[in-house]
Amino acid sequence: MEYKLFWGCTIPARIPFVENSARKVFKKIGLNYSDLEDTTCCPDPTGLPAVDQKTWLTLGARNLSLVNDYNNSTVISLCSGCVETLKTVNHILNVHGDKREEVNKYLTKIGKKFSGNVPVKHVGQLIYENLDEIKKYVVKPLKGFKVAVHYGCHFLRPSEIIEWDDPDNPKTLDEIVTALGGESIPYDNKLECCGCPVGKSDEELSNKITMQKLQGVADSGANCMLVVCPACFTHLDFKQKSLNKEMETQFDYPVFYLTELLALAMGFKPKDLGVRYHVVKAKKLLLELGFMD
Amino acid sequence: MTLKIDFGFRKQFKTYKFSLNYCYQCGTCSGGCPVAKLTNGDYNPRKIIEACILGLKEKLTTLLEPNVWQCSTCQKCVEYCPQGVELTEIFDHVKNLCVEAGNYPQAYKAQGEAIREKGSAIPMSNAIIKRRERLGLPVMKTASHSEIQTLLRETGFIKKMESI
Ligand code: SF4
Ligand code: SF4
Repeated sequence: MEYKLFWGCTIPARIPFVENSARKVFKKIGLNYSDLEDTTCCPDPTGLPAVDQKTWLTLGARNLSLVNDYNNSTVISLCSGCVETLKTVNHILNVHGDKREEVNKYLTKIGKKFSGNVPVKHVGQLIYENLDEIKKYVVKPLKGFKVAVHYGCHFLRPSEIIEWDDPDNPKTLDEIVTALGGESIPYDNKLECCGCPVGKSDEELSNKITMQKLQGVADSGANCMLVVCPACFTHLDFKQKSLNKEMETQFDYPVFYLTELLALAMGFKPKDLGVRYHVVKAKKLLLELGFMD
Repeated sequence: MTLKIDFGFRKQFKTYKFSLNYCYQCGTCSGGCPVAKLTNGDYNPRKIIEACILGLKEKLTTLLEPNVWQCSTCQKCVEYCPQGVELTEIFDHVKNLCVEAGNYPQAYKAQGEAIREKGSAIPMSNAIIKRRERLGLPVMKTASHSEIQTLLRETGFIKKMESI
């Protein structure tokens, strides 16, 4: 099985240290993957379909068509938004023959074709499914990490399309945290949205959603957060400071992407991962827990 | 004020988004919607679906009652609707019509422009290119400009972006 990595826009262009951690982890576990080249934006499931659904389907189908040439390969992505778009486009074009025909009419102009059923998987799923093997590489268990796991919306829903984990009572990420030696801390609003998508149209509303989320974390005794989506990452990492200013809160929770926590547990140094580029600095926590000196 | 029924709109929605016809207005969607809760029911997904079924195009796309752009796309309504109504996809169709009517938040246009020009929602800045080098990350090979332009011309997206 070969994996084609669909990187998307946000991780490479905004938080490349997450990409860095993923590449290190993949190399360590010997994952057979290569980058999927010639891609466009997935496109953003919370943005482009609202402007023009047809264009969203067409660009999404184009991205999927790039994999047609690689028989037997699975697309993997670190972004819940990309996974949702690619799976939903697959779904819509398989259900609606007329849409598929229309999209293929456009794709013909660039010599491409959507033939359907390209398997797509979130990296969180890939890791969970190989957890027993991956656990063998843990050399520095995440002792003292009290993690508020944030599943985010599109990692789980709509479950009929995403087909991964229980949308009401998800467990996979919590189990990964435990397997890495950390502790998953329950908190209020755990399954709520981070507030990111609606920021494009109503910042006040978005802030309210984010506040609820972070307040839940604050009341729980967690000392950091885990996310599996770059939109959740940037939003929860970037927003704490501005909310502290506006709302006089004192949020100070380092946000980690899943592969960053994995990499730390595998013994990679924060310095080599680029953890310093986080907005909410993780240095204090990492020093305290003996992950930095 | 009288509400105008747009029969073309109603027909279009009911035929394409067939799941709309299954809505029995139970309100499960609104009951679990985080935005409905935070706006004390001002925003209400059930009402959007109702207006689609009734063909109240003006109410939805001009008056923005309820304002479909307030949906956070969390997909809870889709998950819990007992009738399998594809709410968020239906909302996308409503939003597409809002865009045509010039009623949309600017951030959507900005993202659309970025995708039109570079194929990417977030083009690389020089600072990030340097940071990537420092981290030892490879240069990303993305889609060719001319290919994206051909495709976006074909779907009518370039024209749409120019006209809105
Ligand atoms: S939950 Fe489904 S059936 Fe019930 S009102 Fe909402 S859309 Fe209609
Ligand atoms: S997707 Fe939108 S309408 Fe549906 S529950 Fe979430 S915020 Fe409410």
